[in-house]
Amino acid sequence: MDSRDSSSSSVPNRDGTAGDDDGVLSVTAALAKDAALYFQSRKFAECVDVLTQLKTKKEGDPKVLHNIAIAEFLRDGCSDPKKMLEVLNNIKKRSEELAHASEEQVESGSDVGNKVTSGSKESGSTTHQVSASHSASTIYTAEFDTSVISLNIAVIWFHLHEYAKALSVLEPLYKNIEPIDETTALHICLLLLDVVLASCDASKSADVLNYLEKAFGVGNVSQGDNGNILLQQSTNLVGKLSSVPSSSLVSDASTPDLAASVNASENPLSGTLSEDPLDEMFSTLDISGQNLSRSADLTSPKELPRTTVDRSIFGVDLKLKLQLYKVRFLLLTRNIKLAKREVKHAMNIARGRESSTALLLKAQLEYARGNHRKAIKLLMASTNRTDTAISSMFNNNLGCIYYKLGKYHTSAVFFSKALSNCSSLQKEKPLKLFTFSQDKSLHITYNCGLQYLACGKPIIAARCFQKASLIFYKRPLLWLRLAECCLMAVEKGLVEGSRPPSNRSEIRVDVIGKGRWRKLLIEDGISRSGLVESVGKDDWALGGDEEPKLSLPLARQCLYNALHLLNCSDSSRLKCLLPSNSSLEENESSDGASSKNPNHKSLVGIDSKPSTLSVGLVNSNGDLKEPKAGTNQEMIHNSVAYFADICRKENQMMKQALLANLAYVELELENPLKALLAARSLLELPGCSRIYIFLGHVYAAEALCLLNKPKEAVEHLSIYLSGPNKVESPFSQEDCEQWLTEKPIDCEEPNGGGGAATAAKNPSPEGMQEFMFLKPEEACGTLYANLAALYATQGELDRAHQFTTQALSLLPNSTEATMTAIYIDLVLGKSQEALSKLKRCSHVRFLSSNLQSNKSS
Amino acid sequence: MGKKMLNFEEQCKILNLLKSSSEQKSIEEMLTEFFTNPKLRHFNVCYSLSLLLQDKMMLSSTERLVAFAILHRSYSSQKSAANPFISFLVNAACDEGAENYERAFILHLLGFGNSNSSKEFLKQSASEYIKKFDPSSQTFPQKEQLQKQYLEKAHPEPYACLLKSTAVKNVLADPDVPPGCDANSAECVSQDVFDLEPGAKSKLGSGDRDEALSGLIANLSLEGLIPHWIRPLPPRFPVDEELVWLNPDNNHELQWDQGMCADTSRGAAVRDLIAKALRGPLAPNQQEQVLVELANDPKLVYHCGLTPRKLPELVESNPLIAVDVLIKLINSPEIAEYFTVLVNMDMSLHSMEVVNRLTTAVELPKEFVRTYITNCISSCENIKDKYMQNRLVRLVCVFLQSLIRNRIIDVKDLFIEVQAFCIEFSRIREAAGLFRLLKTLE
Repeated sequence: MDSRDSSSSSVPNRDGTAGDDDGVLSVTAALAKDAALYFQSRKFAECVDVLTQLKTKKEGDPKVLHNIAIAEFLRDGCSDPKKMLEVLNNIKKRSEELAHASEEQVESGSDVGNKVTSGSKESGSTTHQVSASHSASTIYTAEFDTSVISLNIAVIWFHLHEYAKALSVLEPLYKNIEPIDETTALHICLLLLDVVLASCDASKSADVLNYLEKAFGVGNVSQGDNGNILLQQSTNLVGKLSSVPSSSLVSDASTPDLAASVNASENPLSGTLSEDPLDEMFSTLDISGQNLSRSADLTSPKELPRTTVDRSIFGVDLKLKLQLYKVRFLLLTRNIKLAKREVKHAMNIARGRESSTALLLKAQLEYARGNHRKAIKLLMASTNRTDTAISSMFNNNLGCIYYKLGKYHTSAVFFSKALSNCSSLQKEKPLKLFTFSQDKSLHITYNCGLQYLACGKPIIAARCFQKASLIFYKRPLLWLRLAECCLMAVEKGLVEGSRPPSNRSEIRVDVIGKGRWRKLLIEDGISRSGLVESVGKDDWALGGDEEPKLSLPLARQCLYNALHLLNCSDSSRLKCLLPSNSSLEENESSDGASSKNPNHKSLVGIDSKPSTLSVGLVNSNGDLKEPKAGTNQEMIHNSVAYFADICRKENQMMKQALLANLAYVELELENPLKALLAARSLLELPGCSRIYIFLGHVYAAEALCLLNKPKEAVEHLSIYLSGPNKVESPFSQEDCEQWLTEKPIDCEEPNGGGGAATAAKNPSPEGMQEFMFLKPEEACGTLYANLAALYATQGELDRAHQFTTQALSLLPNSTEATMTAIYIDLVLGKSQEALSKLKRCSHVRFLSSNLQSNKSS
Repeated sequence: MGKKMLNFEEQCKILNLLKSSSEQKSIEEMLTEFFTNPKLRHFNVCYSLSLLLQDKMMLSSTERLVAFAILHRSYSSQKSAANPFISFLVNAACDEGAENYERAFILHLLGFGNSNSSKEFLKQSASEYIKKFDPSSQTFPQKEQLQKQYLEKAHPEPYACLLKSTAVKNVLADPDVPPGCDANSAECVSQDVFDLEPGAKSKLGSGDRDEALSGLIANLSLEGLIPHWIRPLPPRFPVDEELVWLNPDNNHELQWDQGMCADTSRGAAVRDLIAKALRGPLAPNQQEQVLVELANDPKLVYHCGLTPRKLPELVESNPLIAVDVLIKLINSPEIAEYFTVLVNMDMSLHSMEVVNRLTTAVELPKEFVRTYITNCISSCENIKDKYMQNRLVRLVCVFLQSLIRNRIIDVKDLFIEVQAFCIEFSRIREAAGLFRLLKTLE
């Protein structure tokens, strides 16, 4: 037995060159210290030299190899991060292999002992579980600890904007963070926080933020209104524990001899069994009451600061950093009010220090509140524009503000400035790893795409979105925007095979012959046939250098992508709404070995228990109840719930838009059945806006009409009939405004900046202008025109005639309505009336037949 | 661009055909010549002709005859009912307003009346046919009769879109004539003839029929005029929080691994002591040392050499150390395994003590506590030795009372089980006490 235990303790030295030789050990230790000093003073060449010496003494030591790789990479100017990733992954693999090998040694030794000592009946069942997970734990035995390597791998992924990959490395570390030493653990947490914030994952951000504040105790020690939190927390804790002894066994009258035995046995756990084991039992049981203060000390679950000593080490810097993280988190979750409070707090902490980040966040806050002028002022104040990276952000952010102000051309100027900043950043030498993450050109390019779309330039906008898809390909909105580009391009006649816009909004009439032989040939300019035929086989493949070929089939493909992504995020968001359960599921799926354990569920639940305190603080209006005296945790949790609510709403809106677009595209592609399906699912959406209900009915009716089901088509349209021939407005102006300002904006307190509040509440005129859709009365006209068309095909010409008259009074310039009116006249044999309508309509273009026949010949 | 019904070649062909109708070629000859081109799209040609025929002024009488002949001949290889223009032909044959020779010609084409259906009449030219036509020789049947004969076996309407199937002709006559002058009157026609004299072409109300004809033929489209549906373009999705606002990133530097060549003997003393603690109780000062060192280095507990498998030994030999270690490991991912081992251990004073202490120090998973209690109760029931059983029952009772009083467990969860236990061992004083406690809580 002795030999086994000693062997296990000496395992770490196993491959070292005579680890028990004190002389060699101290030499390597000294070299390691030198190398570390060089590294810290950024003398990487010298550092590598020392490490090379060290390497000869400790051949194959993964930690030496790792530090060499890091130092060389930095020495060589971070030129090839992808290769560096490969190197680090190899070292990590090697380290794990070594750990595994040493593990097996220990295992084979201890197995023997185990059989001898424990013959309990359960051993068989437990052994399996234990050994399955054992390897995971021993990775953290100091020698083969890979946490630093993993952290560095994640750091590189982070700088390359590969947040998902960074997350996949960091999450296992975070889950097993307890054994990792303080400094590394802090780096892991901070990096993880940046990663999850960058990927807009509010609930994970909240989790990490909570953990950081608890474990490093920084967030709690704050001035002002947060000051009471620590106190509150600690009293809660004590309160919970102190409730224990008051009703402890000591006071049990049925065991009168108990108190005596307690006093008698000073140290009942000496291990020697007393005469009456039962007495001892009693005494040990109630020791829990007596020694309460002690046991409270022993408690080190996450409620207590990880180590009180460390707090001073990280100091104000960390405090400010965490405060800024918190503001970023609150901005992400659009908890504007709290963000405002916390950003103030951050400014207080930063007093007298460099606080440009705080100012930038404040600018973002004002931007989010719709207070654009103030945002511009803050941006101007914050910026150190000599730094290329910063000025790129500055320009981009100004671009955002001007976009919101409806000044698309000004915003275009700033976006392109920001992009050129980025490209000059790339040329700066020496290259730093940080430079990679500072290159935000793809983000800026996305903004450019939006701006071009707003300016009605679909092709160039699509090119931007295509570029940005490298990082945003998982966002459903990106795909919706691409589909919008396609639709706009088709509408503008920029797509091969589509008609130029003039042809779509005009009635073309060929004038054939002269004099008494003159004939008018009304061309069916609106009919979309012909678009379908232009469908090319060379569908745009994502990621290709090729420019996307905008087309209706591409629009459809994009819409399907978006719907798919949206459904995925819906199901994952469902989990987020139930925070404790969701973390549970994740854990269960990730470590399958222990999931059979009946205790496992509730065990994992411990972590997230504090966060289940206050679900449902978001009331039905979606307003966030201000947690007045709430703890940080509560505040963070509420923000997550609030944000989940916002996301749910936004996704609902997006789904409406996607299905409406899909129905439209399918109609354009002459797939009435699919169009009908899309329109029906649109109408089935809960909480659908009245605008989209209107679209759903119109599209469904048209699809049904194309499927020769006029009766059902009429049903869809007659929903809006209030009298036999009277159409109700399908939506109101307020519906449009509400659609534009769906985001629940936190309004300012009445005493300060009321202007900002109203600006945010009402859609700006620019916003309305951007919302290019039918006015309510035009929607009525559309319904009249479509009812007319429907009844005309049914042969109910009188009714059709009535509707068409009403349609033309509301939409005098509508080509479609005019055509239907002319059609009805012709069917009724009133060719003179048709002719006069044709000549009255402002959208008619008469073409001489000679030209035409020449062209076509 | 919209689909033109006829390609250029077809246009020429039709124009030539119509022009040559006034020549002395036999109709048969013209038809044969016309159908020599295999690429000819019969339907498109026929449809164009039918559109032209609908306008009574557009084609001359000979041209009309030839056009009708083509409409018929295009589909003559099939049954008459299969001809898509059969109803057009029938209607034309019954058109009271049409010239009789034309109606008779169509009836001839359809082979109406004369069973020997000679094609003799096609051997003459169109103008000859008109000239030789004897109105008295022809009787005109009722429309119903014709419809019965030629349309009865017609196929059901092929599927067509509702909107399109109701299309009307999209050609409108727009005669540009002075008001008061009837465009269709004979005067105008005669004036036209007069106008055709050289040099007098561009007079008001005049026009070139050939030009109009070729223009029409060039521009006719398959689609007629149909009622139009307004298909509103969906609005663009509002840009809300979509624009990317940029903030400076935190710089994350690559980290030096401080663990390189570090002293791995960290906590060697504790590891040794823990190893010892597995085999037997430690001396008080040793115990104190372990607790102090573990308290000094919060990470040491992860490196002290304890594994879940070794826990039972530690519990039996040094329960206090076991409690301390487990409390320190409470956030460790392995804690679940430790609990599993603990719950499955043989029931003993020490294991119960450990669990009891844990319940007061940390929040234990409910499931764990419940399973542990169940195991306690079943251990009591299974034990054979009466003395040992009494002892264990008393222990369990005290343990349960402690848990209940400290509100570690909710009595409701285990009420029946615990009650049954109390009743079974009611002879034991502590069990009776526990039972009373249960009753007060009820």
